[in-house]
Amino acid sequence: MTTQESNDDRVALLQGTLDLLILKTLALGSCHGQGVARLIQRNSEEAFFVDHGSLYLALQRLEDKNWISAKWGVSENNRKARFYSLTPAGREQLAEKVGEWRRLARAMGLVLNSSVGPTGEEA
Amino acid sequence: MLKRKRSAQDFADEIKAHLELESDELKSEGLSEEAAHWQARRAFGNVRLAQERFYLKDRWAFLDQTVRDFRFAFRSLRQSPGFAVTAILTLALGMGANTAVFSVMNAVLLRSLPVNHPERLVFLETSDAPRGTGTIDTHETFSYPVYEALRNQKSGLSPVMAYVPLSASKVAVRYGAEPEGAEGEMVSGTFFSGLGVDLPLGRGFSRQDETDHAPLAVLSYNYWTRRFARDPAVLGKTLFVNGVPMTIVGISAEGFEGVDGGHSTDFWIPLQNRPELNAWGNPPNNGKIYTTDPTWWCLRLIARLAPGASREQAVAQLQPVFQQAAFIGLGIKMQGEKPPVLSFAAAKNFYGFEDMYAKPLHILMAMVGLVLLIALTNVVMLLMARNATRQREFSLRLALGAGRGTLFRLLLMESFLLVTAGGALAWAFALGATRILGQWAQIESSLAPDGTVLLFTLGVLALAGLLFGLAPMRVALAGKPELALKTSAATSNADAGKSRTGRIIVTLQIAMCVVLLVGGGLLIRTMRNLENTPLGMKVDGLVVFGVSPTIPSVPEGRIFYMNLINKLRMLPGVESVTIMNSRLGSWGSNNSAMLVDHRLPEGASGGSNAVRWNLAGPDFFTTLGVPVLSGRDFADSDTASSPFVGIINEEFAKQFLPNVNPLGHTFGPDNGVATMTIVGVVKDHKFRSIDESPIPMAWYMYAQIPVIGSMNVEMRLHGDPLTILPSARKVVQQMDPNLPLIKPMTQRAQFDTTISQQIMFARLAGCFGILAIVLVATGLYGSLAYRVSMRTAEIGVRMAVGARRGQVVWMILQDSLVLTAIGMAIGVPLAMLVGHALAASLYGVKPLDTVSYVLAVVGVAVVALVASAVPAGRAASVNPLTALRID
Repeated sequence: MTTQESNDDRVALLQGTLDLLILKTLALGSCHGQGVARLIQRNSEEAFFVDHGSLYLALQRLEDKNWISAKWGVSENNRKARFYSLTPAGREQLAEKVGEWRRLARAMGLVLNSSVGPTGEEA
Repeated sequence: MLKRKRSAQDFADEIKAHLELESDELKSEGLSEEAAHWQARRAFGNVRLAQERFYLKDRWAFLDQTVRDFRFAFRSLRQSPGFAVTAILTLALGMGANTAVFSVMNAVLLRSLPVNHPERLVFLETSDAPRGTGTIDTHETFSYPVYEALRNQKSGLSPVMAYVPLSASKVAVRYGAEPEGAEGEMVSGTFFSGLGVDLPLGRGFSRQDETDHAPLAVLSYNYWTRRFARDPAVLGKTLFVNGVPMTIVGISAEGFEGVDGGHSTDFWIPLQNRPELNAWGNPPNNGKIYTTDPTWWCLRLIARLAPGASREQAVAQLQPVFQQAAFIGLGIKMQGEKPPVLSFAAAKNFYGFEDMYAKPLHILMAMVGLVLLIALTNVVMLLMARNATRQREFSLRLALGAGRGTLFRLLLMESFLLVTAGGALAWAFALGATRILGQWAQIESSLAPDGTVLLFTLGVLALAGLLFGLAPMRVALAGKPELALKTSAATSNADAGKSRTGRIIVTLQIAMCVVLLVGGGLLIRTMRNLENTPLGMKVDGLVVFGVSPTIPSVPEGRIFYMNLINKLRMLPGVESVTIMNSRLGSWGSNNSAMLVDHRLPEGASGGSNAVRWNLAGPDFFTTLGVPVLSGRDFADSDTASSPFVGIINEEFAKQFLPNVNPLGHTFGPDNGVATMTIVGVVKDHKFRSIDESPIPMAWYMYAQIPVIGSMNVEMRLHGDPLTILPSARKVVQQMDPNLPLIKPMTQRAQFDTTISQQIMFARLAGCFGILAIVLVATGLYGSLAYRVSMRTAEIGVRMAVGARRGQVVWMILQDSLVLTAIGMAIGVPLAMLVGHALAASLYGVKPLDTVSYVLAVVGVAVVALVASAVPAGRAASVNPLTALRID
C-alpha cells in the first residue's frame, strides 16, 4: 500500500487490490504471511511493496470472510509460521476479481490509447 | 457455525514469526544478524499499530472506547467529590424545579381530556344570558329549553351533552349505613357515548335512561378505587343520592373524572326531574326545578361537532336555534334587547383550567427557567474553574500523545455523568414536588410527570450535557503541550482569573438573581397582604358545615332548620349558631337586580345595579362577629308570620339609599313577590373570597322566604371550633340518618381556599427566589473566590513590591463591584418588565414596589460583596513569599 520514498520505480497499491494480490498468490499454493509479501514483491518485479502490518490485517480479513484458511505449521527453514491456503469460496472470489480487474485494465488501456479527439468547436 | 475467535496473542505470535522469517531471509541475502533484525522491523512498520487495529477489528470500537471513557471520567470525578456533589445537587435542584413546574403545566394546560378525539369537542358559551334569567355563570350555563332545542337539531353538533353538578360542593350519598359526601353530576344519556369514554365495567347511560330519568349511577374509577376498593360486586348495588336510591350500573374509564378542571366527579346519574335532585342542590324555586324553570340558566353544555362540520359552520347553523330557544318561557323580548350569541370554546383541555392557571403557570415556568439558567451557569463555571486548574493535566496528556478528540470525549463523558446523576435526582425531586403541589393547589387530577415531561427533561439534560462538555473545552485546549513543561501554576493560570466569559457569566447571574428576587418579593408581599386582609368579621372560633336534608315542603323545611339550630345551641361550648344559604368564602353567591323602595334603582355611576344576596338565620351577624352599624340582627322572632325584614351592608346603603337613614326603607327581588323592610345596616365584610372588593349586599331571613333547601351551618365556639364536629354530626343524624356533614371546616380554612392559588403561587415563587439566591450566592462565591485565587501570585507580586493590604482588597473588590453594578443595571429594568407582567397577580402591591426592589438589590449586593471580600481578605493576608511560591 505504500511505496518507499527511496525507490522511485515502486508504485502505490490501488485501494482494494491487496486482497486480489493475496488471493492470486495463495492460488499458487499455501504460504505464510512473510512469503506472501515476498512473492508479491518479487512477482511485481519489486514494483509493489506491501506494508506488512496491512498485509496481516488483510489476511485476517480474508480469513474472516472464509476465503482463505490458516493453520500453524513449520517453514522450510524450521521456523514456526502460520500457513494460509485458498478455500473454494476464495477461488471463486479470485476468478471474479481477476475478471473485474481485466475489464478495468482493458477499459483503462482503451481510453489511454485512444486517438479520436473532440471535433467541431475547437478549430 | 461460529469460529473460535482468534486471540490477540496468536496475532502477535504471527508477527513475531514474520519478523524471524524476514530476518532469516535478509541474513541469507548477506546482511549481518543485527542489520537483518532491524531491517525486518523497519520493513514491518508500526507493530503496535497493527496489533491495535487487530484488537479493534471486530469490536464495536465506539462502545469499547465509551466504556473506557466512562471508567476514566468516573475515576476523575471521584477524585474531586466536592465538585461532583455540588455540581450534581445544583443541577438536580435547577432541573427538578423545572421538571416539576413543567409537569404541572403539562397536566393542567397541555394534556387533553381523556376522551375520543378531544379536538372535535366544544364547550358551549354564550354572551350575557337574556334579561330575567338567573345564571350560575353568565357565559357558561344554559337553560333546559336551550339544551333541548340544541339537542334536538341534527346538524352542526351531534350530540349536545348537558352536565350539571348535584351540588355546589358535595352531595349527600349513602352506600350501606354511613352517609357521606361525594361529588355527583347529572348528565345527558349521551354523555359517555358522546365523549367516547370507555366503561371498563358495566355500562353507561342511554338516551332512554335520560328520557325515563332512570335511577342509575356510574362511578368514577377513582371513586370506585378509593371508596369501594375496586370491588366489582358494587354493580347492581344501591347508592342513595340525597336519599334517592340509584342502581350502580358502571365504572368509568380510569383517569376520567368529568370534563371540568380542578375537581373530580365521583359519580354520574342521568338528568333527573325530582325536586330532591335539583341542579346545584338548589331548592325548588316556587316548585320549579331546572327542567321546568326556563329562567334558570344552570346547565353546562359540551358537544361534539357533527361529522364533516367545522366549528364555524356549526355555530352558524345553531345560532338561530339558540337565539329562539333562549327566550322560551321568558315572555316577550324587550324592545332593543340584543339576543345572546352562542360561541364555542375548545374542549381539548379541562374546562376552566386555562383561565385559572395559564398565567401563573407561565410566570412560574419563566421563573424556574431562570433558576435553571442560573444553575446551568453555576455548573459551567464550576467546570471551567475545575478544568482551568486541570490545564496542566491536559497539557501533560496532550504532550503524552492524547488527541484533542480524546480530551473532548473525556470532558463530554464527565459532563454526561454529572448530567445523568443530576437528572435522576431531579426526576425524583419532581415526583415529590408535583405531589405536594397538587395538594396545595387542590387540583385533584394527577400532576405527575408523564412521557411528554420525560422528553422535555431529557431534552434539557442533553443540552446541558453538551454545554458542559463544550464550555470547558476551550480552556482545556488553550493549554499547549509545551505548557506542561512550565513549572508555575501562576503562569499557566494567569488568564483564568480574568477571563471575559467568566465576567459575563457573573454579570448575567447577578442580573437574573435581581429579577427573581424582585418577582419573588412582589408575590410574597401579595400573599402577606392577602393573608392579612381584614375580613370584616371575627373569623376565629367559627366552624362551618353543610346539610342538605330532603325537604317535602317549605314549612317542614323551616321547622327542620329551627330544630337543628336549637339543638346545636344546646351543645356544650357553643356560643351561637346560625345558618346561611351560600357559604362564606366559597366563591358561591347569588346576584340579582333588586327593587329598592319598589323601583329599580339606577346603578351608582351608571354601572350594574346587581345586589349580592344571601339567606341568613337568626343571630347571623352576631355569630360571624360582623358589627351591626345601625338597627338590629335577625332574631328567632322573625318568622313567616311576622313582618318581613331584611338587612343590608354599608355599600348597599351608599349606592342605593345615599344620604338617608336606610332603616325603614324596603328592598325586594325584582319580580316584586316579596318586600323586606330594612331593619339593620352592617359593616362591609368579605363574602365570596378574600380578595373581593365591597359590593352591595342584602340578606333575607330564611324563615320568611318561600324557598328552602340545603344550608350551611355556622357555629361560634369557645376554644377549638373543630372539636364540636362529632357531637354536631350526632345531632344531625338523629334528625335524619341520611345526612352527612358536608365539607366541615373552620371558617378561616374556608376563606383560605379562596386565596390558596395565590398563596401557592407566592410560596412557590418564594421558594424559587430562595433557591435562586442560594444558587447564585454559592455560584458567585465560588466563581469570585476562584477568580481571586487565580490571582494569588499576582497579589503576591504586588505585595512584594509594596502594595498594602487594603489596596489589594480594594483592587479585588473593585473588580467584583463593577460586575455587580453592571449586573444590577441589567437586572432592574428586566425586573420591571417582569413586575409589569405580574401586575394581574398582585394584590395590594404595585409592580414598582420599592421595598421589593430595594431588598432584592441589597440582597444581591451583600452576597456579591461577601463572596468577594472573604477571598480577597484571605488572599491579601497571605505572606507574599508564600504566594509567589504557591507551587
